[in-house]
Amino acid sequence: MLKVDNLTISFRTDEGLITPVQDVSFEVKAGRTLGIVGESGSGKSVSTKALMRLLPGNALVSPDARMAYVNKAGETVNVESLKPNSRALRQLRGGEIGMIFQEPMASFSPVYTIGNQMIEAIRLHRKASKKEAREIAIDMLDRVGISNASARVDQYPHELSGGMRQRAMIALALSAGPALLIADEPTTALDVTIQAQVLELMGDLQRDLGMGMIFITHDLGVIAQVADDVVVMYLGKIVERGATAEVIRNPRHPYTQGLLKAIPSLDTLHDRLSPVPGDIPSPTERPSGCPFHTRCGQMRAGQCDVVEPPEVQLGEGRAVRCWLDAEVSQSAKLEIPA
Amino acid sequence: MLRFTLERLVGMVITMALVSVMVFIIMEIPPGDYADRYAFRKYSGTGVNVTQADIEAIRADLGLDKPMVLRYLDWIGGIVLRGDFGQAFAFETSVVKVIGDKGFLTLGILFATLLVTYMISIPVGIFAAVKRASAMDYGLTIFSYMGLALPNFLLALLMLYFASRWFGADIGGLFSEAYADAPWSLAKVWDLVKHLWLPAFVLAWSAVAYQIQTMRATMSDELNKLSVTAARARGVPEMKLLVKYPARLAINPVVSTIGFDVNRIFSELPIVAVVLGLTELGELLLKAYLDLDMYVAGAILLLLTFIIVFMNFVSDLLLAWLDPRIKLGA
Ligand SMILES: Nc1ncnc2c1ncn2[C@@H]1O[C@H](COP(=O)(O)OP(=O)(O)OP(=O)(O)O)[C@@H](O)[C@H]1O
Ligand SMILES: [Mg+2]
Repeated sequence: MLKVDNLTISFRTDEGLITPVQDVSFEVKAGRTLGIVGESGSGKSVSTKALMRLLPGNALVSPDARMAYVNKAGETVNVESLKPNSRALRQLRGGEIGMIFQEPMASFSPVYTIGNQMIEAIRLHRKASKKEAREIAIDMLDRVGISNASARVDQYPHELSGGMRQRAMIALALSAGPALLIADEPTTALDVTIQAQVLELMGDLQRDLGMGMIFITHDLGVIAQVADDVVVMYLGKIVERGATAEVIRNPRHPYTQGLLKAIPSLDTLHDRLSPVPGDIPSPTERPSGCPFHTRCGQMRAGQCDVVEPPEVQLGEGRAVRCWLDAEVSQSAKLEIPA
Repeated sequence: MLRFTLERLVGMVITMALVSVMVFIIMEIPPGDYADRYAFRKYSGTGVNVTQADIEAIRADLGLDKPMVLRYLDWIGGIVLRGDFGQAFAFETSVVKVIGDKGFLTLGILFATLLVTYMISIPVGIFAAVKRASAMDYGLTIFSYMGLALPNFLLALLMLYFASRWFGADIGGLFSEAYADAPWSLAKVWDLVKHLWLPAFVLAWSAVAYQIQTMRATMSDELNKLSVTAARARGVPEMKLLVKYPARLAINPVVSTIGFDVNRIFSELPIVAVVLGLTELGELLLKAYLDLDMYVAGAILLLLTFIIVFMNFVSDLLLAWLDPRIKLGA
């Protein structure tokens, strides 16, 4: 239902041009969940913002990027060529693709009730009177497990607890009836038990509503729980991709292996610090060669730090971007991408 | 909201009571009183010898011999109960008659100025924030510095010069000659409106410059909020989005300084009034004060301060309406 090709995103900054997303391609199949996993700054949020054309003014998207979305009516929408402020873009936002953000408090406006913001979204994308929209909103709040929904609907965001707010945020995104849901670290701000509840809820809703989903997280453990397919991002590049079960069982990239080791067990505290040893390079100082070589335990001097490895296909939808596998597949010396 | 309004209303009444005491004290500060001045005026040059007893008689006649507390109570009681602001000694008529139209014209100038200030600065500030770092934005910034640097009586002179060159001589003042002494009518009000824009623009000038900058800064902050991106991600049309989400919060500092703006307009009004030949209260206040015509001075001071206190009340209510968290005490 969504196919992204050659997505490269740069920002004009005071320190010059930085390119936090480079040549990213992925696909979301209808009714399935794609997980995007990677540490802070790997370009997960920026990539999905591009899908909604929500990037700020200093962002540049490469002209050869293609984002083809098949909408509810079965038509293909080329998201990259939609006009800003066009009706088609507004329909896509919210009505076709819903988005949930990391900070449930900050993504609600504090000066309108939950209901006000839900009713607005519903009426933008569905034919409904104010009264009907209110019914839909209450129904949706009920569905995401908010008790006493008909009273909560008239409350302000600050009157809800953190977990409640994230549920309300999910209800808000779903109430407009999107076919694809982008969830950008929807549980990071929540504590572990509530996190588990919200994850379960999202899985249930997705199944019931038959939505496709892009689920962003830095926790491969969460991916194992929710995603059918996964792409692993490091410094703006996809370093490994495949069916989740495959990638978890047999991770090929040293970075994926590191992430897997870092999955917090039930009794360790969940923290946002980088679990893989070494520091994430700053976006203004991208390492030469393989971007991960500065932290890689199997780094080969003269190769990994000089030339970037190509993406090596390992099977249907399964690929890795590492010299260890490139050697094996013996296509190494020729395929050197610019 | 009702409870909040009542609370603020009580607060306003208390403030006004305190202010009235202060005004009364200020009225009493100048040495001597109107009895001295009256005696001096009446008999100077006539060769009559004025005795202390004569002055005392005048004082008793005018009711100035009672203790201060009683005089205050008389004064404020008359105002609250009967709308009677006392006697204008120098004019030998009531204060209400002396102030009369001048009060309404001052109010007219005030509201016209506030209207011009906010109608220009709020949309332009929003626009500048949305088009941040564009040529338009830089142009507006330069304009703002000019606005803050140019004294408005100078602007008034300039405007007067150009306006009279382009629109004919009849531009100063608040009325055309034909209406100046005519009784109030719709045509006269319209004539007033046609004359009001010039002083309103001159008085609004620096506030516009200042509030554009305020609005631009807070709007830029608000535009970066996640809630704005989230609303955009729900497909809210851009114009509606700007007004409903960031602008509603960004306007806050502008609304909360309405009281300051009123204050500033009152203090700048007299000099602008002199240049533009306006009828307003400031000049009368000065004259009354110099003449020790205390009830006239008091009434004007009271009126001006009450307007400021009242506008602060309005600004409080507006703030609570803009951001419901304020009245919910969150
Ligand atoms: N508006 C912007 N201007 C300049 N650079 C930006 C901007 N937004 C993002 N970036 C850059 O893009 C990089 C990737 O950001 P992104 O938010 O996509 O990371 P992420 O993978 O979502 O990380 P996190 O897990 O912390 O959310 C960041 O390192 C940042 O330097
Ligand atoms: Mg992110």
